[in-house]
Amino acid sequence: MIVVENLTKSFRLSKEQKKEKVVHAQGNKVDAVADVSFSCKPGRIFSLLGPNGAGKTTALRLIATMLRPSSGRISVAGFDTVKEAGQVRQHIGFLTGSTGLYERLTPTEMIEYYGRLHGMEPALLEKRKGDLFRLLGIEEFAGRRIGKLSSGMKQKVSIARTMIHDPQVLVFDEPTVGLDVITAKSILQLIRQCRTDGKTVIFSTHIMGEVSLLSDDLAIIHRGRLLYNDTYDAFIRVMKTKSLEDEFIRRVEEA
Amino acid sequence: MKLLTIIFRKELRDMLRDRRTLFFMIVMPFLVIFLIFNLSMRLGMDMEKRAQEKELQVAVFAAGPLPEFINMLQVSKKVKINTTVNKKEIEQTVQNGRLDFAISFAEDFSETVDREGTNEVQIYYKASTSENEMALERIRKVMEKYKQQLLERRLQKKNMTAAFVEPIKIVEKDVSSIREKMGQRLGGMLPYFLVIFCFLGAMYPAIDLAAGEKERGTMETLLVSPASRLQIVVGKFLVVTASGIFTALSSVLWLYLVFRQSRMIPPGVLGVILKLIEWKSLLLLFSMIIPLCAFFAAILLSVSVFAKSYKEAQSIITPLNIMIIIPVLIGIFPGIKLNATTALIPILNISLATKEIIAGTISPLLMVEVFLVLFVLAALGLIFCTRWFNREAVIFRGV
Repeated sequence: MIVVENLTKSFRLSKEQKKEKVVHAQGNKVDAVADVSFSCKPGRIFSLLGPNGAGKTTALRLIATMLRPSSGRISVAGFDTVKEAGQVRQHIGFLTGSTGLYERLTPTEMIEYYGRLHGMEPALLEKRKGDLFRLLGIEEFAGRRIGKLSSGMKQKVSIARTMIHDPQVLVFDEPTVGLDVITAKSILQLIRQCRTDGKTVIFSTHIMGEVSLLSDDLAIIHRGRLLYNDTYDAFIRVMKTKSLEDEFIRRVEEA
Repeated sequence: MKLLTIIFRKELRDMLRDRRTLFFMIVMPFLVIFLIFNLSMRLGMDMEKRAQEKELQVAVFAAGPLPEFINMLQVSKKVKINTTVNKKEIEQTVQNGRLDFAISFAEDFSETVDREGTNEVQIYYKASTSENEMALERIRKVMEKYKQQLLERRLQKKNMTAAFVEPIKIVEKDVSSIREKMGQRLGGMLPYFLVIFCFLGAMYPAIDLAAGEKERGTMETLLVSPASRLQIVVGKFLVVTASGIFTALSSVLWLYLVFRQSRMIPPGVLGVILKLIEWKSLLLLFSMIIPLCAFFAAILLSVSVFAKSYKEAQSIITPLNIMIIIPVLIGIFPGIKLNATTALIPILNISLATKEIIAGTISPLLMVEVFLVLFVLAALGLIFCTRWFNREAVIFRGV
């Protein structure tokens, strides 16, 4: 379960941003996330939809304890992300489009490293690693250096890294960006499997096809503010345009 | 502690698989030391040999013949007397290299000698090369011998001995040991290698483990792991420090091996040099390298994590190399010694302390001061680095 209450995250504008004249900036500051509230429930997929620079990644980083909120509160698996950040990180798995792998390690070394960081017992780590490697087809290249693997293979290792400690909450930040169709499909399958397994899933994207394929709940974020937050079915019911994409554009342009 | 160990072991494994880091740790110290040592020794020896064996083109200008002086000049058989040059063209011919030396006696030289007066003899040469400076010594020796001969003749005429013009004979007795003398010379070179290699050895791992991780996206996944920022920083810091220490030790080892294998150092001198490198000195040097590498690691990691990319980190860190060399070079200047004030200046204190350790003249109190300064600096560096890693604006700069 993820509960986000009145979350705001402000950043100082960089020199480049000042030159670009960020539209929703207030003086030297900009609210990347402004007074945002939503909740993600176990066994459901929550899609966070927004154009580039909308605040999706900032919101996910706040949930994953990488950033501290300027105001508001986030609870992940019952733990506060500021006061109990260590506990939150034990229960969370985080996957981004950039694989985030050590090129000089092998998949085995990489997965064992993250398993140990999560305090897994050797026997459990070995079993879980074996299961994931079989499921994702990593066994055949488990001993090769990651730098020599294809992008599809790397993404599989990245998924195994995210799942090794069997987290209750999964955060996917634009997980299919830059991937080929086959690899992207396998990631979408994995996200669906997580829902079946009763996990809490939040994923950010700007690809409408993924939203319609996966979403149980949907939030649209633009310039740090939520424009919509309800179920996907409710969104489809109240749509004023023919397609999801058109409706998304309409809402963003109206904001 | 368990997480810190896990991070340290992983970072160490990752670092030891990086070819660039291994090159900086092992191959580069050897190449630099081997090339500097061999090139400088060979060039120095070749230059001295050329200066000694070169046939010097010398013109002698005097009102009358000076057969004794000319004979003295030609005894070495490596002096060719040039009689074709006009006196008016002395400076020009020496300047354009046709002549190596021109010796000009005054017009009234013989009369002044007979009058028992003092003559001025001018030697024209070009001091723009070290080779000419060495060749000048050959001419000076001949002039000195000729002067001595003239003086002896005068004294004989007056029935006097050489003691008459030499009431005091100065005998200099240097009581410094060979170790002290060699320590000052060798000790000037050693800190140069130690400091530079501590820095270079720590440089690439620091860039790779911070800016490199940001660029590859691994920093993000590491920050979501249960390891705290402090554990992540300290794990990386220890690996970068270890790399600096290893590189410095590798440079000392290469220096020892290159000296030992060298055929250019006379065996007697080599024996003295090898005796200087005793365990006590090595332990003292090693104990200074640890805090120095820790300080470098903290600074380099802080800069590296601030950088948006590997490239930006390199462009910020490269000029730091020069800043590091400056205090080392100041330490090599003669006259600058380790005292309560210089012991407070980082890097300069290492440079000066190394000389004294090798010479065996280090004061225990000053050694303690140097250690304290280095440890305080390393601790401050680590505290700064940890706080820096905790700043969102730094760690997510450009991510």
